[in-house]
Formats: sequence, structure tokens, C-alpha cells
Amino acid sequence: MKTLNIFLLVVIFTTFDVKSAKDTFYLYLESHLFYPSELVIPANKKVKLIIENKDSTPEEFDSFDLNREKVIYPGRKVTIYIGPLKPGRYEYFGEFNPNTALGTIIVESDRHVH
Amino acid sequence: MRLVQIITLFLLIITFGVNADGLVVDKVYHPYVTAGEQSVEWRLLSSETSTKNRLGQRFGYGFSLTEDMTLESYLVAERDENNNFGVQAFETELRWMLTEQGQYWADWGLLLEAEIADVDGGRNYEITAGAMFEKEIDKTSLTVNLFVVQEWGETVPNETELEVRAQYRYRYRSEIQPAIELYTGENFIGVGPAIIGLKRFGGKKQLKWELGFITEVAHDGKDHSLRMALEYEF
Repeated sequence: MKTLNIFLLVVIFTTFDVKSAKDTFYLYLESHLFYPSELVIPANKKVKLIIENKDSTPEEFDSFDLNREKVIYPGRKVTIYIGPLKPGRYEYFGEFNPNTALGTIIVESDRHVH
Repeated sequence: MRLVQIITLFLLIITFGVNADGLVVDKVYHPYVTAGEQSVEWRLLSSETSTKNRLGQRFGYGFSLTEDMTLESYLVAERDENNNFGVQAFETELRWMLTEQGQYWADWGLLLEAEIADVDGGRNYEITAGAMFEKEIDKTSLTVNLFVVQEWGETVPNETELEVRAQYRYRYRSEIQPAIELYTGENFIGVGPAIIGLKRFGGKKQLKWELGFITEVAHDGKDHSLRMALEYEF
């Protein structure tokens, strides 16, 4: 029982929202294309990514590299939290339109991000 | 996040004094839900000890109720004491994604499950409630399930059990994700390798597979479990 109680205490501590400032970045989807198709974010930081679907059909943001999967209904915005990530290129695509809805998150060290 | 903390505090209070037993090898649940998704699933568990061989299969259908909640129902078939294989139970489970993936230090979900079973000529019931936890560490993910199970009925004793399941997975590539899994109850500690994969077919269609081989390590003697799962999402 001690294990269970320790586990439950861990839940409490791990769900406190650390009030660290998360950098926010934006993407939008229009005509089944993500804009900008390449987005630069800082390395080793958790960031907030807001994606707006301007199309009239749903899309699913999907990325094995980022380990994220999220449905975006028409005319709506979703928030995805990614990172902290090491520098590199992380591909993503729209699962309903994988031939056109493609993009890359480029993770660079702080000094390169504007 | 106050909701998660309140629910957790509630679980903390009600689970003081719970006893645990039993074999728990099945599947490690992840705390995520994808909106608008349906799935069909098949699971197999074959376990062998020095005195008996057990076989269980389940066939499930699930769909997402909301953007953060999914409902899945299963027919459970097992081989009984007389070596007859047939449907024994019906089970329904609700998974609830409590936190947005990556928002907090770890991601959390809740699982509620109800089962009705006919075993050895008697009607039995089982209610399961518990938490699912996942922490992403670079290219790996640690997932832990903690379930409290209440059983009662005509051919099982009225008892409360505790199950802990864990999986540490390396996200090597979508189709090949090696993992180590741990399953524990009061009288059982099983550990072993597993392989998990996912293949996308376009649109929303994808096939997930899992294969694991779990060995009991707390006692002498043979006790191996082979588990397989196939899940088609659409």
C-alpha cells in the first residue's frame, strides 16, 4: 500500500503547473498546407505551439519525431506542447492530407531563434 | 490541474488498506485519446506454469466520445478448468485524458472499467479504477498504470486488488519500438521485453501491434506469459 500512496503523491507533485514562461509559436493550416512550412524554435525549452485550421475540413497534426498527434477541427485552434528538444529537424504532417500538409520544426540553440 | 489533484487525493484516501494479489499481465495503457477515432482490437495472452497453461483472448471495439474521452467494449474468451474455450466475460472501459500531452512534467489519464463474467457456473463482477501516467524522456517514454480492482460474485471472493503495470519504450522508429515491461500484484512480479509498432495507411487508418514475453521473477518455478495485441484504428 505504501507504493500506491507514494505513487499518488507523485501525481499531485507532477501536475502542478510550473509557472515557467513557455515561448509561444504559431502555425496555421490553409488549403491543406501548413504555414510556415518551416518553424524555428529554441532547443532545450518547452514551447507552446498554437495551430489554427482555416480549412473547412478537419486535419490531424501527426508527428512521430515530436511524439504528438492532435485533431484540429475546421475553424478551430489547438495547443500542443513540445520539447525540450535537442537541436535538429523534426518532421510533421497532416494525416488526412499527407501529400500536401507537410512541415518541419527546426530546433536551434537560443542564439539562432528570432 | 486542480481536478487531477482532487481526484488523486480522493484515490489516496480510499486506497489506504487495500490488499493485492493476482496475475496482471495484459497491456500497459497510455493516457492519450485522439478525437474522432474508432478502433477494433484483438488481444491474446498465453501463460504457462509448471502445472497449467492458460489462454485468454479479447475482441474489442472502441470510439472516442469526446476530444479527451474514449469508450471501448470487449468480449473476453478464456480457457476454463475443463479445457473448454469460450466467451466468459463482457467488459466496458472508459479512458479519460486528463492533461494535454507535454503540458506538465508528466501526462495523466484515468481509466474506469466494469466487467461481468460467467465463471464455473456463477456470475461475477469486477470494477477497476486507476491512473495512467506517461513521462517523455528524449526518445524514450515511461508509462505507468496503477489500478485498484474490486471483485465480487458467486464464484470469486469479495476482494480488492492492486495492479501496477509499467513500460519503458524506446521510440526508435514508428514500426519498431522496443520496450521493457513490468507487471506486479501482491504475489506476482513479472518482467520482460516487448516490441511495439505502428503502421499508417493514409487517412486515419493505422495498425498498432504489441508483442511481449513476461517472466515471473518473484518465485521459483516456470511462469511465462506471451502477450500479443493488434489494434486497427480508423
